[in-house]
Amino acid sequence: MADIVHTTRTLPRQALAAPRPRRRAWRGHLQGSEYAWALAFCVPYVAVFLAFVVYPVAFGIWMGSEPLLYTTLFSDPIYVRTVVNTALFLGIAINLKLFLALLLSGFFMRPGWWTKALLMIFVLPWAVPALPTYISIHWMLNGEYGLFNNLLYELFGVTGPDWLTARWTSLGSAMVSHIWKWLPFWTVILLAGRMAIPTEIQDAAKVDGATGFRNFVHINFPLLANLYLICTLLSTIFSLGDFNSVYFVTGGGPADSTHVLATLGIRYAFDLAQPRLGVAAVISALPLLIPLVIILMRKFRTSQVEL
Amino acid sequence: MVRLTRRSILRSSLGLAAAGTMARPYIAKAQAKTAQVWWVQGFVPEEDAAFQKLVADYEKQSGNKVDYSIIPFAPMRQKIISAVTSGVVPDLIYATPPEVVPLQAWEDRLVDVTDVVETQKAKILDIALASANCYNNVQKKRSYYGVPFEGAVVPFHIWGSLVEKSGYKVSDIPNKWDAFIDFFKPVQKKLQEQGMRHTYATGFVVSTIGNDPTNTFQQFMIAYGGENIVTEDGQFNGKDPQVHEAVVKAVERLAGLFKDGYIPPSSINWNDADDNNAFHSKLCVMDFDGTLSTELAMLKKQKEELKEVITRGLPLTNDGKRMKPQFGTNCMIIPKGAKNVDVAKDMAKYIIEPKVHAEYLKGGLGRWLPVMPELVKNDPWWTDLEQDSHRPPYVEEGFGGPVLPFYYIYNPAWAQVRAEHPFNVAFHDVTAGGMTSQAAVEKAFKRIEEIFEKYQIKAG
Repeated sequence: MADIVHTTRTLPRQALAAPRPRRRAWRGHLQGSEYAWALAFCVPYVAVFLAFVVYPVAFGIWMGSEPLLYTTLFSDPIYVRTVVNTALFLGIAINLKLFLALLLSGFFMRPGWWTKALLMIFVLPWAVPALPTYISIHWMLNGEYGLFNNLLYELFGVTGPDWLTARWTSLGSAMVSHIWKWLPFWTVILLAGRMAIPTEIQDAAKVDGATGFRNFVHINFPLLANLYLICTLLSTIFSLGDFNSVYFVTGGGPADSTHVLATLGIRYAFDLAQPRLGVAAVISALPLLIPLVIILMRKFRTSQVEL
Repeated sequence: MVRLTRRSILRSSLGLAAAGTMARPYIAKAQAKTAQVWWVQGFVPEEDAAFQKLVADYEKQSGNKVDYSIIPFAPMRQKIISAVTSGVVPDLIYATPPEVVPLQAWEDRLVDVTDVVETQKAKILDIALASANCYNNVQKKRSYYGVPFEGAVVPFHIWGSLVEKSGYKVSDIPNKWDAFIDFFKPVQKKLQEQGMRHTYATGFVVSTIGNDPTNTFQQFMIAYGGENIVTEDGQFNGKDPQVHEAVVKAVERLAGLFKDGYIPPSSINWNDADDNNAFHSKLCVMDFDGTLSTELAMLKKQKEELKEVITRGLPLTNDGKRMKPQFGTNCMIIPKGAKNVDVAKDMAKYIIEPKVHAEYLKGGLGRWLPVMPELVKNDPWWTDLEQDSHRPPYVEEGFGGPVLPFYYIYNPAWAQVRAEHPFNVAFHDVTAGGMTSQAAVEKAFKRIEEIFEKYQIKAG
């Protein structure tokens, strides 16, 4: 109703006004007060975007813009070890997680109420808040009074290892925790991908004798390949900034040997009171992050065409 | 139905702007009497209550308003760094960890508070004054950038009941450093034989997180003669053979205790609260931890068991001399950019008035020591064993003889050393990396020299 009122009131003015092509180009097809309304609706979004996206990113880049920071960074042995940890974390944890998700999504395609019930239980780790669960895992892995070692001792009389006191068991624990937390999410995504495969193709494959492993290799996997790759890329991008699974499970210890870039940035910024160095540590991930985002965008285009 | 038009929006906006402009002086006047304060949360509710009472009393007396936030210890450091980095700061901050003061003073980010300190300077301990007298690298001189208002030393906390359960007596505990520590080895053995599978002799923190690992390592270093590792003019003194030998010995001793199983393995990842928790759950017979937080935290759920806990100061050195404890001082700071420096200074002056100072610390159950010795001397609340068996030994450790400062008061480089924990990294290099103590210490000294290079203090 209000729109009609506006239009009828503004039409005569538009008709009388002298042609102003530049303003019209700005205004597009908007007329009279519609333009003011459009601006009014846009301003909050633009303000929020400037305040919470542009400003923090620009401020971050400004903070990490000093070349000396990177000299300091690269000469720090903890940084070098952290880059190795980050590469291992991404390379092992992400691929293992996605591969398991692919297999499990096949399992959850099975018919039957119990599969649905199991799926409901399976997604719980993803649904529960991250911090309490990671902190619980930290306590469960405690060598002296943690649940795992106490179970090992009570059930088998075995004294378990001190999971969090050596670099590799500690980093491994962080990876397993990350996989445990995020496996359900990616399983559900791949499950949705599997469900989108037309049943006609599956039926035709069955007629041709392609069942089980052959069906997976020749039908499901080729059709899921793009989705799988996109999921891997997305998960890598998300996990590059994953702070929680390392910080709350290992705390970066022992002796700062299990940091990843996200946790090391916090160590520099707050423990060492060098926020610029912290930002530089995070910025140093950009050479990996930007190509990943570009590949992801390209993949989105490709997959659109294929689908 | 109200119809919105461009003109009506413009009219309303102009009206609001005009009202805002006219109201501004009144808002500013109210703001001018309000100080925004960040204070650290206590270990027990009584500490927070003592601060809240202090605020209420101050508001009543001064007519000013205090808009305060009580923040837990760990996030406080992050908040302070975020605030001074972004420039959006409160007016008065409880500076924690205390090395925040020399680090931020170095960067010229703090308001000079000499006029506040001067009001009580004659009554404050020299070491507390020195902790607040920091070097400003922009102005190339020292001045008071913190207002000292509470102190602490690091006492030992011992489960007397566990000592007795193991078949020994508390009176058997020797009073010389090495013998004192070694006493707990057979105690552990006997307790483990009795089924206490996870009870360890000591709760020494050997991680690379927080304050406790550094405090522990430094006390070992001091025990072996390395107290002059930083000179009073702010130079790293690692080339002194006595210091070098003390550091090597401290690394060897801690690594030996760890490798022989007298320190809980998880201690390698502990933060400042974890050794307290470990002690409370009897994971260790003895712990070395700053302030009386260990004891006070037991008041809520382990009040009866607290009677089994012994608090004691440092044993003598191995050659029978009094060992100097490390005396830490907490300060209030006013960051540059604070809107109400006057109110902040006024409140800081109020907090260090002896009567207020004493009441606040006693309200907090004596977790922190006064920085004015006269308060302890003139008040049996601090020293009477009849009233409390834990407080007097703690007070005696702090005021019973010469003490050492934390070295960052000489040079903020040590604040970075504390944060990077090179000695605890050396410990880790020995226990996990298979390095010799000598090589690990050389590596640590090299790193410390690099850090000191960045913090060159001009004489005078």
